[in-house]
Amino acid sequence: MTPTEESRVPSSDKPITVSPAGAELQNRFTLLGPFKMLLNPIAQLINTIMDLIGLISVALAASKLLLEKKRRGIFMALFYRQIYNTGVRALYINGAVGVLIGTLLISRLFDYIPKQVMEEQFGYLFMVIVFRELGPLISGVILIARSATSITAEIGYLRLRREFQVLNGLGISPVFLFLLPVFFAFPLSLLLMFIYFDLVVFLSSYAMIWLADPNADFFALLSAILNQISLNEIAINGLKAVLGGMMIGVISIHFGAKVENSFTEVSDAISNSTTTQLMVFFVINILLSILAYTQ
Amino acid sequence: MTGALILENLHIEYPETVLFDRLNVQFPAGSLIGIETDVLDGATSLLKGIGGMLNDIDGRSILNGCNILTMSATERAGKVGFVYEEQGLISLYDVFQNIALPLEFHTDLTFAQTSALIHTTIEALNMPSALLQMQPHELNDVQTRLVNLARALVVSPELLLIDELEGGMPDEMIDSTMKLLKNKARQHNMTVLLTSSNEHVLREVDQVLKIQSNQLVESPV
Repeated sequence: MTPTEESRVPSSDKPITVSPAGAELQNRFTLLGPFKMLLNPIAQLINTIMDLIGLISVALAASKLLLEKKRRGIFMALFYRQIYNTGVRALYINGAVGVLIGTLLISRLFDYIPKQVMEEQFGYLFMVIVFRELGPLISGVILIARSATSITAEIGYLRLRREFQVLNGLGISPVFLFLLPVFFAFPLSLLLMFIYFDLVVFLSSYAMIWLADPNADFFALLSAILNQISLNEIAINGLKAVLGGMMIGVISIHFGAKVENSFTEVSDAISNSTTTQLMVFFVINILLSILAYTQ
Repeated sequence: MTGALILENLHIEYPETVLFDRLNVQFPAGSLIGIETDVLDGATSLLKGIGGMLNDIDGRSILNGCNILTMSATERAGKVGFVYEEQGLISLYDVFQNIALPLEFHTDLTFAQTSALIHTTIEALNMPSALLQMQPHELNDVQTRLVNLARALVVSPELLLIDELEGGMPDEMIDSTMKLLKNKARQHNMTVLLTSSNEHVLREVDQVLKIQSNQLVESPV
């Protein structure tokens, strides 16, 4: 049909075309619309959970390649790179936040605790507030903001450049090269960040206490904290680092690997993965704290 | 049928598009085969299909008696090399590491042996050794394809699949590269299948085919 012929067709006879956005709008007003709107996010959540479980299984299965010396060499180079980028280079920001918490929050306890019970109470409060909760939470948030976002972007970029396909062509699993180093480095990095954060908070809070009272005994405060930290506390913190770090890493890979064709998918992947990581990490921390510390 | 590479009922199909309909072709070992290519005619998909790099594919791609499509990834990596038209390098690694990667992963060669092999290969390709320290993003298109070729050649594959190697190359470079490929093919009984739209390249190969009506047919070039 030429444009002239088309203009002669009565408007009521013209075929109605519906844009994809219009089709979705129409769909929402059908009877099934509300159910679909409710079911779609649930289906997506189930899919994501299944994908994450799949990724963890694949990572564990690929770990057997580490038994071979040459392949272990390839892995270790990437693992060290990841530990350096995640666990070491993040220390300055972890330290800066630790100093702020130590100087502004923990040292203030000094003003409210009677001197006679200072050491005992300081040790207890430090353990409950910093060691149990703030250390893991703040370190996890820093890991997500600083490293997990860059892993998601990196994986998305590698997907855009079809580098997964190249590796498959070379007979090398992308899981081995891209997932395994993150899978193992993130928990270890998170553990390093916990320890470093606790140390910095203690040192900076002591510095503030010392400024107010130059007679404050460093070793007495330190041993008061160490006395409070049982094996159980260490095990729970270790579990938070292992589960939290592993999940943060796997979620980054999951969303990064969903990128297919467009650069805008990379920003979507970062946004979605950060949201999911924050939710999952907070849930893991709160659940473990409730399970371990509820009397 | 005898021959180094035999395609048996090879069928490549994307949703609503049949690219290759039950191809039955054979290529002798040690030969250079050119596939005259045009825009979006599916030649890259054909190479990937033959090399076992596509999922939705039917039929068999038999290399010296073994079906590439059912080989394990490791086995395939030792027998089939692929040279990409663009990119194809791993951006985590520099050029040396990119070329060394399949050797490091799949063989027991020492670092010294791997290094010697890489230096010999890049010398044969007239590439400066300074290139080895460069990152993939620092290379131009021609250098990227040559690094792809070097990485494929170091494993001495039985089948080498090359996707439009010549873009941007001066004629002398095309001549020397084709001569090298011909020598390697003859010496190692390696079958080389390359796509090209360049007559200069197609004149250097043993047989030229073109894609017509979802089939591979002899080309008059």
